[in-house]
Amino acid sequence: MALSRRSGRSRFTLALLLLTSITVLTLDFRGSSAIHSIRNAVSSAFSPVRDGGSRAFSPVSNAWNGLWHYGDVKNENDRLRAQLEDAQGQAAQNEDAKKQLEAISQLEGITQFTQLPSVTASVIAGPLTNFEHTLEIDRGSTKGIKVGMPVVTGAGLIGRVVDVQANRSVIKLLTDPDIVAGVRLATSGETGLLHGQGDGKPLVIDAGIDPPVKVPQDDMVFTSGEDRATFPGAIPVGHVTQADLSADRLTQVLTVTPLADLGRLTFVKVLLWEPPQ
Amino acid sequence: MKYARPAFVLFVLITLQTTLFADLDLFGAKGDITMLLPIAAGITGGRERGAIVGFITGLCLDLVVHGTPTGFFALGYTLVGYVVGMLQAGVLRAAWWIPVLTAFGASALGVLTLAVVGKFIGIEGLFVVNHLVRVALVVAVLNALLILPMIRVTKWAMPATTRSGRMVPV
Repeated sequence: MALSRRSGRSRFTLALLLLTSITVLTLDFRGSSAIHSIRNAVSSAFSPVRDGGSRAFSPVSNAWNGLWHYGDVKNENDRLRAQLEDAQGQAAQNEDAKKQLEAISQLEGITQFTQLPSVTASVIAGPLTNFEHTLEIDRGSTKGIKVGMPVVTGAGLIGRVVDVQANRSVIKLLTDPDIVAGVRLATSGETGLLHGQGDGKPLVIDAGIDPPVKVPQDDMVFTSGEDRATFPGAIPVGHVTQADLSADRLTQVLTVTPLADLGRLTFVKVLLWEPPQ
Repeated sequence: MKYARPAFVLFVLITLQTTLFADLDLFGAKGDITMLLPIAAGITGGRERGAIVGFITGLCLDLVVHGTPTGFFALGYTLVGYVVGMLQAGVLRAAWWIPVLTAFGASALGVLTLAVVGKFIGIEGLFVVNHLVRVALVVAVLNALLILPMIRVTKWAMPATTRSGRMVPV
């Protein structure tokens, strides 16, 4: 008798907790300002602890990463990678420049991303759990950063700002399936829609590229910057590594490897460009 | 005062998760040490305590991380804590390896539960099978290794109480 009463009570507790969780989730999805404020307040209050903890534990994580990733060459490797990314980005831009000139009359009004004002920020936290595709940077609204602004490295596009506090911002990476970008292929000039597929998977263009379009291996992919685009035009994104037909054979499905190494970002640039409303 | 110890343990675990464990990648996956608390609470205190501790732990983690909606971990950890508590009710815990095995299974199941919850609420990209298996294995192995000390910590932080509310010595 007592056992069944306890069992009933624990089921009631479970139902109550699940209902509360779902209510909180719903409020968050509906953009509740109360939830947002509480989260920002807690996150801001906790950030000094996290910063201190990260500093304190950095020898341990360095040793661990050294064990698994040859840490003695890590710094050198990072420097060389940054240089390589800059060079890749430059080469990609050069390749696209010819196409840009040809299309310049039609693309009038589109600004090159390198001419846009930007804020350089350092990455202070990567994804904290296995279920995130976000980064946190050390610059926020005091530097003019707003939600929706694109984020790049020397190599190209890496994501978009999704949350801003005074001195911190959260960036959603391109690998997140929620990020959709209008893109253009360098060789054909065809435009399509690119999105992520989650951790450990390449990006994919699965809309807009018709089957007859020839897509060479390693064809460069840039943001299209077309009307009402969420990113400015001509930002290098990646290169095509595979081209297949969709199941209904009505469009091509292109696998795209990002130019920027999204797993090892240390410095990024937030472009002070807001998508049109 | 009753809540000071659990609050301290929770604070330490969330700090460890968001600092040390966020930086330690093993085969592209991170440990999930915060999941240990509802598992340990479920083992030591039963399903109701497991669920409550899971909810509070998840909600606190939700407020600190930035890439998932608020309530995501609260929902997932509540289920994990409850299920572990339910399992322990049917197990005679004579052997040391039973909690280890429970932690292994519950952690793998917990990762899958979070992925399912994510799928239901529209977080895409969590069902990349290779990645999910890797994450589940890494989290399960790590939590299985840490469960025995965690059970001791949980007993210290949340001692069992008698019906009159008195604490039972650990």
